[in-house]
Amino acid sequence: MAATDGVIVRATDVARVYPTGATAVSALDGVTLEVRRGEFLAVMGPSGSGKSTLLNILAGLERPTRGAVVVDGADLSAMDEVTLATYRREKVGMIFQAFNLLPRYRVVENVALPLVFAGVPREQRLERARAVLDRLGMGPRADHRPSQLSGGEMQRTAIARALVTDPALLLADEPTGNLDSANGEALLGVITELHARGQTVVLVTHDAGIAWHAQRIVRMRDGRIVN
Amino acid sequence: MRTSDLFALAFGNYTRSRLRSTLTTLGVAIGTALVVLLIALATGAEDNVKRSIFSIGDLRLVTVQPFQPGATGLSAVPRTIGDDFVAKFKAIPHAQSVYRQYDAPLGTLLEGGEDAAIRPQGIEAGAPVDRGDLLAGRHLEPNEHAVAVIPGNLARFVAATPDAVIGRKVTLRLGGAVKLGSTRISGSGTPRDYVVTVVGVFDEQASQTSVRIPLDDALLAGAENRGLTPDAVRQITGYSGVAIESEDSQYVADVVKAVQELGFSAFSLKQVIEQIDKGFGVFRGILAGIGGVALLVAAIGIANTMVMAVLERTREIGIMKAVGASPRDIRAIFLSEAALVGAFGGVIGLALGIIGGRGIELVIRSLNPQSNPAPIFVVDLPLALGALGLALLVSLVAGFLPSRRAMRMSALSALRYE
Repeated sequence: MAATDGVIVRATDVARVYPTGATAVSALDGVTLEVRRGEFLAVMGPSGSGKSTLLNILAGLERPTRGAVVVDGADLSAMDEVTLATYRREKVGMIFQAFNLLPRYRVVENVALPLVFAGVPREQRLERARAVLDRLGMGPRADHRPSQLSGGEMQRTAIARALVTDPALLLADEPTGNLDSANGEALLGVITELHARGQTVVLVTHDAGIAWHAQRIVRMRDGRIVN
Repeated sequence: MRTSDLFALAFGNYTRSRLRSTLTTLGVAIGTALVVLLIALATGAEDNVKRSIFSIGDLRLVTVQPFQPGATGLSAVPRTIGDDFVAKFKAIPHAQSVYRQYDAPLGTLLEGGEDAAIRPQGIEAGAPVDRGDLLAGRHLEPNEHAVAVIPGNLARFVAATPDAVIGRKVTLRLGGAVKLGSTRISGSGTPRDYVVTVVGVFDEQASQTSVRIPLDDALLAGAENRGLTPDAVRQITGYSGVAIESEDSQYVADVVKAVQELGFSAFSLKQVIEQIDKGFGVFRGILAGIGGVALLVAAIGIANTMVMAVLERTREIGIMKAVGASPRDIRAIFLSEAALVGAFGGVIGLALGIIGGRGIELVIRSLNPQSNPAPIFVVDLPLALGALGLALLVSLVAGFLPSRRAMRMSALSALRYE
């Protein structure tokens, strides 16, 4: 995956308003943002700044109330639930603070999960999942259950799951939030290395020490980009 | 998503909460078993009734009675069946053959004493009533006189075995007082003896009192009893009845209608069976409805289980959606789980129903060894397939709302669900 020039994410005047009873809460208030292909961008801000909402919109998990979002040529605002699901499956990989692994399935099955919904045959998808796990040094843990893993290993598994579909965009929402500092550093090392091989990464964090690893930092406050 | 993956996923989820799946499946199984048992009971009863009707006679047959149409019991208005009408019956389309019958006066078989009451039926050779039920000898043949075909029970008054009776001469004492069962009826005219040769013995299951004699002999006996000539009897009294054999049972309704239009009451087994079919349809419906209630309860059980499953696996749904499961995939996962419950429950229920039916039958037979040997519960292929289909359908319907709920869940709020 070679780093190429060009814009992979173009968000224009994006707003997200949550209707909560009489008053509406505005989580995003006119955010315009571009991410170049191969870039490692950190979105930083305190909790409630709207950074997670922005990430969820890029992930196709949430729709903007207003504005346009184009990722890798796909216009998210024009998509229905079905095409959004396809978008999530094909264009983005996401890792969460809470790992979000399925406890009943083995590590390799967790990693292969997106390929189930892509209709990839079982043998093929397990093979691909093992290859990604090997790349992340998780090969020996492939047949364990998530409960048998350390926090760092769980998050590596989540990264492997995000990467198994070869997404154009890797999104990370406070990926080190549930890890101790040593495991957190190691995980950032993994992400940095992925970026070095050309992976576009957008990472959301409230921690300046983590954002520092990124190529570029965007700060948010009260639903707006502040620098 | 591939069907094989969907099935594997559904099966994995089914076995995950084993106790709950088992209980839900058991509910469906019991409901299905009940439906199968009750419908099998209705089918068995209907088969049984139909079998005994088929044993009475031919479905192609229409019996003409000497009454006006619509005759029931005491309100019957008599009508004379003369030769003119017999000719008209013969002209009815699809009426293949017409057999006249004249019942001579009641009497006794002299060899049997007064307990051997007889009803002499004067019939034509080949008449439907005189077919295929012989224990010995032969049926009546055309143009013979002073012969008779008698039931097995009367034959025993004459000789030890039916074969030994053939060729023996017996005396029919016709007219006068007759003891029928425990009642004595005065009868008509004065008794007169007729010596006949027994040419055949029929199985008394058809009748214990009928003695089959040639039509002309019966007419003569009737005439002599009343001091008339046989021709006068034909014209004044008319025949006791006429059997019309139609070309095929499909024409029976037309023939019945034609007979009624000629002004006579007509009776056919075919129509009786159609009535029975209708009656049993209602019976079966009621029983199926009772079983259906059990299945409905099972369906509520499935719905409840599925609602619980959707709630429990909210996070899982969120994760699956986040990694790209389409709404349709999510719905398919839960629907196939419900279908699995229905399929397992259906198969187990069908087996339970069949085994249960056998068991009940065994118990009944051991308690009452002399009961009718016909099967009490009849599970035919349509019932088996129908029961499986119904169990599947019920579970899919029950799983529909919960799976739609799962499908419509927002991925993000599902991920945040604790």
